[in-house]
Amino acid sequence: MSRTDEPPAVLVYRHPGAPPAVVREVCAGVEEEGVPAEVVDAPDGLTATGLAHAAAQASRLEVGIGVDAAGAAAVHHGKLPLDHPPATLGADAPAPDRRRIGRTGARVVKNLPLG
Amino acid sequence: MSTRDDGPTGTRLVVGVDIGNSTTEACLAEVAPDGSVSYLGTDLTRTTGVKGTPANTAGALTAIRGALARGGRGADRVATVLLNEATPVISGLAMETITETIITESTMIGHNPTTPGGEGLGVGTTVSITGLGTAEPGQPVVCVVPPGWDFDDAAAAINTAVAGGAEVVAAILAGDDAVLVTNRLTRPVPVVDEVAAVEKVPLGMLAAVEVAPPGRTIRTLSNSYGLATVFELDPAQTRQVSPVARALTGNRSAVVVRTPSGDVTDRRIPVGELVLRGAGKTLRVDVDAGAEAIMEAVARAQPLDDAHGEPGTHVGGMLAQVRDTMADVMDTPGQPAVPVSEIAIRDVLAVDTFVPAEVRGGLAGEVALENAVALAAMVRTSRSRMQLVADLVSEGLGAAAVIGGVEGEMAVNGALTTPGVDRPVAVLDLGGGSTDAALLTREGECTAVHVAGAGELVTKLIDSELALGDREVAEGVKRFPLAKVESFFHVRHEDGTVQFFDQPLPPHVYARVVVLSPEGPAPVPTRHGLDHVRRLRREAKRRVFVVNALRALRQVAPGGNIRALEFVVLLGGSALDFEIPDMIADALAPYGIVCGTGNVLGTEGPRNAVASGLVRAYAAEPVRSGPAAPVR
Repeated sequence: MSRTDEPPAVLVYRHPGAPPAVVREVCAGVEEEGVPAEVVDAPDGLTATGLAHAAAQASRLEVGIGVDAAGAAAVHHGKLPLDHPPATLGADAPAPDRRRIGRTGARVVKNLPLG
Repeated sequence: MSTRDDGPTGTRLVVGVDIGNSTTEACLAEVAPDGSVSYLGTDLTRTTGVKGTPANTAGALTAIRGALARGGRGADRVATVLLNEATPVISGLAMETITETIITESTMIGHNPTTPGGEGLGVGTTVSITGLGTAEPGQPVVCVVPPGWDFDDAAAAINTAVAGGAEVVAAILAGDDAVLVTNRLTRPVPVVDEVAAVEKVPLGMLAAVEVAPPGRTIRTLSNSYGLATVFELDPAQTRQVSPVARALTGNRSAVVVRTPSGDVTDRRIPVGELVLRGAGKTLRVDVDAGAEAIMEAVARAQPLDDAHGEPGTHVGGMLAQVRDTMADVMDTPGQPAVPVSEIAIRDVLAVDTFVPAEVRGGLAGEVALENAVALAAMVRTSRSRMQLVADLVSEGLGAAAVIGGVEGEMAVNGALTTPGVDRPVAVLDLGGGSTDAALLTREGECTAVHVAGAGELVTKLIDSELALGDREVAEGVKRFPLAKVESFFHVRHEDGTVQFFDQPLPPHVYARVVVLSPEGPAPVPTRHGLDHVRRLRREAKRRVFVVNALRALRQVAPGGNIRALEFVVLLGGSALDFEIPDMIADALAPYGIVCGTGNVLGTEGPRNAVASGLVRAYAAEPVRSGPAAPVR
């Protein structure tokens, strides 16, 4: 893929049915850290972790976030194995935790502690 | 006493046991009739109970049995167990802040949110976001946004007000939204966020908000004259706000709100007076004069007979507590209690330190570094209950147990088994509670001293200076080198070397400063960088061990002249530290003496010196028993 043509960004892979409120908070979390985020509509059939992994593979920053149909989310890094996401979040998590998932993704890029 | 002979050869099986403050060590050996010694095994375990109390028996038995197992001998063949006469030394630690920053009215927000928004300086009157509509056009205002406001709504409200003529020059937010709000403003302004107590920001007051560009720190609000310029202060008022400037130094963002009754004080807390008695003098020194003044007074009152703290002050309470603990340790059931007056404080080590303390009156958990003095005090009494421990060990093991010698002498004796060492030799026992020195002259005379302050004080300094609030974490910082986790797969050690891992490192250590403990990397919960933590760790060790090494050696050296020493052997748990021996060797280098970490019996490293010294002393004089003459 010719990823080098695109601006560097944390890719947010969104399931077609992903709740917009979740995607908004996740993106806000990335933006607050000053890191560009780009939302991509992802095909059906993957879990949040699977979406995040695929996004991380495609991201020039090697960091991806996945949001599934239920609103569960995960952060992934391109060099990590699929079953080792740095952070995951349940579908019923409150808004501040969703913001935190975005923040975690951005902080992986910035090489800052995730906590 | 028992002299259970072991068969026709007449060799006797003996066990030397050293009960220390934190570890109990045993050394098993066979002593031939001609006095020659063959060492069979050693063991080491945690000391049970406070050193010098009957509770030590369990640990002593564990160590003895461990050494027997390693040496392949049964307990029934032990002729004599040799215990050390521990100079009853306990040390107490206390730390007291001597400055305190108090803001009686909410006048500043000096925290460091990770992501403030915008940049520059905005000065205006504080107005709630709900009241922006009524702001007078042309009057600069600082918008205060309470919790619960969404970033889109907040930005829209500010944009609407600005469009209506309001001059919004800055904003203060409760949530972590500064960048999000700034990105949505038609006219970006400096924004400070994560202000937990935003409702305490007084409205209608003149406020200044400053955000520095990335990689910079604020210039105006951290400068007393900058504050004076912004708020048009007279010299008296400037003097009053100078602690604010100091507290804000080094921050990337800050808010200062000028309230008419605002009052920031930076005052000295009376800590009390330390009264030192010794060398025929009585010296008084204010603890808040700092470590240097205290140590100078301690040196003039050498040898110290006793120290007292002014009753009703911090230092008085601390020294009284050490005395009470010691009295408890010395109490024997069925015997009259040890009078507290019999317990003398024989040494004091004072160390200047700082304690990050929350600023009283701050709005976002601001922390100011307050000056503090840490004191280690050491107590000695004439009574010891080691004989009771010996009796209990004898009972538990079914073999004779006697006091085989005094700690300091035995340590030198054991240190002499280190290859390359000869008399005159001085040992430095770097322990947990005290740093001990002993000198054996060429003629065989031995002197020993104990000075207050050792490993536990180092841990305490690290704990408080890094605001860890966790002794275990501080212990880890003290004992293991640091590293920075640079990716999910590699760390950079404190010396700059990089190590890769096959398996991904856990997310909770990602990008953190970690200690490399044997169990793997453990995060150090601090915002400070690796270099800062490293510097602080080394400085804590230097202030305790290097200072005490020189202090203790001066007290045993002929004429107080360290140059007159020849061999210095480092012993004890802290001699195993990865940098303390080097730091002491560096400090001793100018004196032209040989200094290094001991290697007892050529195999044990700095461990087991007292236990093997006991065996050597027994072999040299196999019929001795009972307590030896006390060290001076």
